[in-house]
Amino acid sequence: MTCSDVQQLLPELLDGAPDAAFQTAFNSHVKSCSDCSDLVSDLKLITSQARDLTAAEEPPARVWVNIAAQLRAEGLIREPETVPGRPVLVPAPRQRRWSPFWLAPVAAGVLAAGAYLVSHKTTTQVAEQRPVASPVSKGTSQAPETNPTDQVATASSPVAEVPVAPPTSPTTSQKIAAKSSSESKAGGAAPEASAPSSAEDQQFLSVVSTLPASSRATYQNELQAVNADIQETQAYVNQNPSDADARQHLMEAYQQKALLYQIALDRIQ
Amino acid sequence: MAGQQWANFLEMRIQSSTVVTLVLATCLASVALAETKKEYRFTVGPNANVSVDTLYGAISVRAGSSTEVVVLATLKSDSVEVDQQQNGNRIEIASHLLQGANELTGQVNYEVSIPADATLNLHSSTGPLSVERLTGDLTLEGSDAAVNVRNVENGHVHVRTMRGPITLTDVRNGHVELASISGDMQMKSVTGPLVQANSGSGKISYDGDFGSSGDYKFTTHSGDIEALVPADVSADFRAHSMVGRVQHDFPLESKHSRFPVELGRSFFGSAGKAASEVVLRSFSGKIRLKQR
Repeated sequence: MTCSDVQQLLPELLDGAPDAAFQTAFNSHVKSCSDCSDLVSDLKLITSQARDLTAAEEPPARVWVNIAAQLRAEGLIREPETVPGRPVLVPAPRQRRWSPFWLAPVAAGVLAAGAYLVSHKTTTQVAEQRPVASPVSKGTSQAPETNPTDQVATASSPVAEVPVAPPTSPTTSQKIAAKSSSESKAGGAAPEASAPSSAEDQQFLSVVSTLPASSRATYQNELQAVNADIQETQAYVNQNPSDADARQHLMEAYQQKALLYQIALDRIQ
Repeated sequence: MAGQQWANFLEMRIQSSTVVTLVLATCLASVALAETKKEYRFTVGPNANVSVDTLYGAISVRAGSSTEVVVLATLKSDSVEVDQQQNGNRIEIASHLLQGANELTGQVNYEVSIPADATLNLHSSTGPLSVERLTGDLTLEGSDAAVNVRNVENGHVHVRTMRGPITLTDVRNGHVELASISGDMQMKSVTGPLVQANSGSGKISYDGDFGSSGDYKFTTHSGDIEALVPADVSADFRAHSMVGRVQHDFPLESKHSRFPVELGRSFFGSAGKAASEVVLRSFSGKIRLKQR
């Protein structure tokens, strides 16, 4: 068994190989290879700590309900229909002071939702789906599947550019256009990604609607762009649920949205 | 007859131009007259904490006296006021808009000099924000504001914008964290134990040697990442673009990797003694590592 074999089959082998001889070969290699031994140790540690982390970070549902009720009672968050038309930026101190404050918990909520979705996808889909080697580019094109032999390519010599999936960096408008397309192509997954934040998006848009037209348009465009990023990444994660890097990108896309909320909060205050 | 008409036409045009010029001059004069300058001085000790917050306007900060903070505020109209407060070593400067203020009349430009070791917090939506020759911790925030940080060392440098571009030049031994949604980021000669940049659609450019030891993590969603390094760079490189392409144009020493390598979408390898670790990640952007 080689190091490459161990890397590719490690998750399955850690849970116990179906074949005793295979397990023996794995154990033998790990004993003799310090790199693979370190890798196995790291993975075991991460797995055990991740279990503890999940248990520690998931409060019961009633906690969230109580927090939401308390925030509503204190006027820190509002129902969407009550916000339109409210003169958030008029000089009345109470309105100007409190209207945008829901953005702070919402920004945290976006991050929490992102973290939940990422971890939820990991725990449920890894078991259900086989990893897809080829990433799916935006829109309709799909990259060719990666040859397993490419996985061990070395970096010892300069790498010439290899034709791969379209490398274009989409503009904001392209992303917005692609958003509706990806929604339909991603099946039920994309709505799941955007559902937890759609009400917050409406509130966000209501608040920024009080800003000058140019600023308002900027915030709207940026919101659409980050939503498109989230959906694009979510679609990729759905097809490659075991891809840790993709999940990391998804988390970062949610962080971008939280950053947008936070900047809007600072702007309106 | 035609000549007379032409003369009349010219005369009317000249009169019109004169009127327009006078109106413009009057407007400019009124704006100039409404513009006021205010200076504030505060005596501080070591490790002062200075905050400047304005919705509209530029903030420029540089190192000055080690015992004094000097703030020169230029108010564009009387529709905006400046609040200032000192609590011990902490100075807070903030402009607040009065009724009817807008992006033009609500503008306050600040020129600030502070002790080099002071902690600094700046916020302006429109900016630009510029900072130079400081050694304390810096936090700079703005939505559209262009941010320029030059010649600072030893401190934390935290910058975040919505779409404002961020430029860092000659930042040494810094703990640098940059975040933007669509702003470009440019780093030249930026080194430190941690240099982290994250932009959604903005481009990240790095020109430097990645220091002697440190973690460098650059991430984008769709923006490109480009690093320009000298031939004697000493770093461990890892680059991966989920959908985009990666490219490097100088030899990297192959090493045992714990991560799968996808040809054309990722590369690993070290150069020199691999003193620093460099991670370049993008979802769909292009990543290039180039030799200077």
